[in-house]
Amino acid sequence: MLAITNARIHTGTGETIEEGTILLRNGKIEALGKDIDVPAGAEIFDAGGRPVTPGLVEAHGHVGLANEGVGWEGDDVNETIDPVTPHISALDGINARDRVFDDFLRGGITSVQIKPGSANILGGSAVAVKTGPNNAADDMIIKANTGMKAALGENPKRAHGADKDRAPYTRMGSAAIMRDWLFRAREYVEKRTASDSKTGYDAKLEALAPVIRGEIPLRIHCHRADDMLTAIRIAEEFDVPYTLEHATQGFKIPEYLAERRVSCAVGPSMSREAKVELEGVGFETAVAFQRAGVPFCLTTDHPVIRALYLHMIAGKASAAGIGPDAALAAVTASAAEHIGIADRVGSLETGKDADVVVWSDDPLDGRSHPVRVIIDGEIVYERE
Amino acid sequence: MHAYIGAKIYPVDGPPIDDGVILVEDGKIAGIGGDLPIPDGVEVVDLSGKVIIPGLVDAHSHAGMWGDGEGEASQDGNERPGPITADVDAIDSVNPHHTSFASCREGGVTTVQIHPGSGNAIGGLCFAAKTAGEVVDDMVLKAPTGLKGALGENPKRGAGKDSPKTRMGTAALIRDYFARAREYGRKRDEGKSPDPDRGLENVLRVLEGEIPFRVHAHRSDDIVTAVRLCEELGIAYNIEHCTDGYLIAGFLGERGIAAHVGPGLSSRGKVETANRHEGNAAILAAAGVKVCLVTDHPFLDARYLMAYGGVAQKYGLSFEDTLRALTICPAESIGVDDRVGSLSQGKDADFLVLAGEPFSFKSPVLATFIEGVEVYTRPTL
Repeated sequence: MLAITNARIHTGTGETIEEGTILLRNGKIEALGKDIDVPAGAEIFDAGGRPVTPGLVEAHGHVGLANEGVGWEGDDVNETIDPVTPHISALDGINARDRVFDDFLRGGITSVQIKPGSANILGGSAVAVKTGPNNAADDMIIKANTGMKAALGENPKRAHGADKDRAPYTRMGSAAIMRDWLFRAREYVEKRTASDSKTGYDAKLEALAPVIRGEIPLRIHCHRADDMLTAIRIAEEFDVPYTLEHATQGFKIPEYLAERRVSCAVGPSMSREAKVELEGVGFETAVAFQRAGVPFCLTTDHPVIRALYLHMIAGKASAAGIGPDAALAAVTASAAEHIGIADRVGSLETGKDADVVVWSDDPLDGRSHPVRVIIDGEIVYERE
Repeated sequence: MHAYIGAKIYPVDGPPIDDGVILVEDGKIAGIGGDLPIPDGVEVVDLSGKVIIPGLVDAHSHAGMWGDGEGEASQDGNERPGPITADVDAIDSVNPHHTSFASCREGGVTTVQIHPGSGNAIGGLCFAAKTAGEVVDDMVLKAPTGLKGALGENPKRGAGKDSPKTRMGTAALIRDYFARAREYGRKRDEGKSPDPDRGLENVLRVLEGEIPFRVHAHRSDDIVTAVRLCEELGIAYNIEHCTDGYLIAGFLGERGIAAHVGPGLSSRGKVETANRHEGNAAILAAAGVKVCLVTDHPFLDARYLMAYGGVAQKYGLSFEDTLRALTICPAESIGVDDRVGSLSQGKDADFLVLAGEPFSFKSPVLATFIEGVEVYTRPTL
């Protein structure tokens, strides 16, 4: 058992406990609060009044798919052979030994959702993993198949389109391809479940079936407000669950999103207008979403912004106007909700995974850093 | 005349002043101190509880030329096909109305040195400008401020028929071109009037000591090659990026080299940046390198230069060195420290009003002043 004592505990859900204690046993949080007795024999870490938060949760990334400081040999983000590749799975591209995972630990991130890139309209399935210890990707899994990556806007046009002389050339072309495949997947599901079915196995349609059945969401990459609206239009037509990824221009349509309670992974907000569709990138969207009541989390989209700086992004969002509680939630509890793993991670509560970070100082200040990172009750990173 | 009173002032070239006064007249600092008499008829601005620091100086920026948010049509950073484009001048690519200048003002960057890109072994002339204005020529602080050079991966990617395929090829190209410039100068001095060549003329300005060679190098061996070349040629130079500098800090420190370290907060996006280390700036400074923290805007948006300073501090750069690395050090490296980089009488009235101590995320830039004019005001929420 590990006991963290004398901690300023931020639970990730808006509550703060001064001089608190957390007990970790068998990889789970056994108890936390102000007046907790530490059992005899427990290993004690005195936090010295420093802040303790849940392990941060990065809702969107390509970690381990893009090996760092390596050329094309280590680039496994986009399967650009075809704009429709729902049958591929991020899990099969993750190099758990890539040094990028050390960055995540140094940044206090203990959970991440990893997705294929955004070159394809239907791009493959995502997976949620712990960031350490990084031995085998399969041992790190929190939840396999957390959603089907999809993409609208510039990227599919650039990766295919005029350069490759194949669809999509336009945004409406991308939308038509997405519709076509969802329609075929719906037919496939209906026919395959019929007792007299003669419909044969199809890898792509099989991969889309859980979306049609409502078991996993489409996770739709979109930056521009009109791309976000197209995503919603298509998802509503087929009545499938969905989330929006990036949502850069969400500040233009917060009420439209709030009405529908669309969950958005916003970011990377500290980025630049590297593409035309990123016009207006900044912290305005986080502020607008918080005011309008749009559920959202904040992401680095590592390596666009290094994962190491996720807590700084939260700090910037806090300073921009969402305040410290919402900012911390946006990189912990709300991110876990967005991924669909909030039953395990994202907040400090009895029974949840023992993923805990002790910080040198206020995690919302860029100058602070984790001094202990704990995953499943084990200390995986130390710095003084 | 305006008097800004009540703030804690970090002048950078002197100790901090509590409850200080800055007098501004005609865009210049007319006086600064803790106990200055305020002349009659002066407009007084009370900044009690606030903090004033000099406007930030970014020694490596592509503001106004990279066309972020505008697509291919506005990409004006690298003249292709290369590999030698010593004749181009960054000023001819800069659009003052581009959003990147608004980013600079919001982030507190008041002076930038704008470089051509690093796609070519010799890339063209750099210049220094203020970050507010309608006409780029009116924004110029000094031009030219250097000649851009590049080693490592980027020049090898060039599309030109003569573009280098190896690192040794790039070095040979630079050596050869400088030798031709020297020959060109010799002919000119002998009154033989060589065929006019703007590129060779620009290189001659480096050889004659008018401007330094500013060499893009990430990997430690590329940095060492830059030093080897420049020492051979006997020219003034500095290292741009210097990503692996911490691996050879002693080698650089004993030469007192200036390093424009950055872009901050970025990833290991290229093979040559595989060793990126957040402690680089601190290790270099400790070894005696003149460290400037740079955005390489747009590669770090200028809005976040101060955040980069905070991170450099977190990894070991002292508060004072961090502040200097964002102000007076780059001003000296660019050669504009007579005008900007610190707050003292007679210098340009370029300063920032912060909500609190510098580098805290709770201290956003409330206002940015360039030559006494408030060019950015933080919107009230």
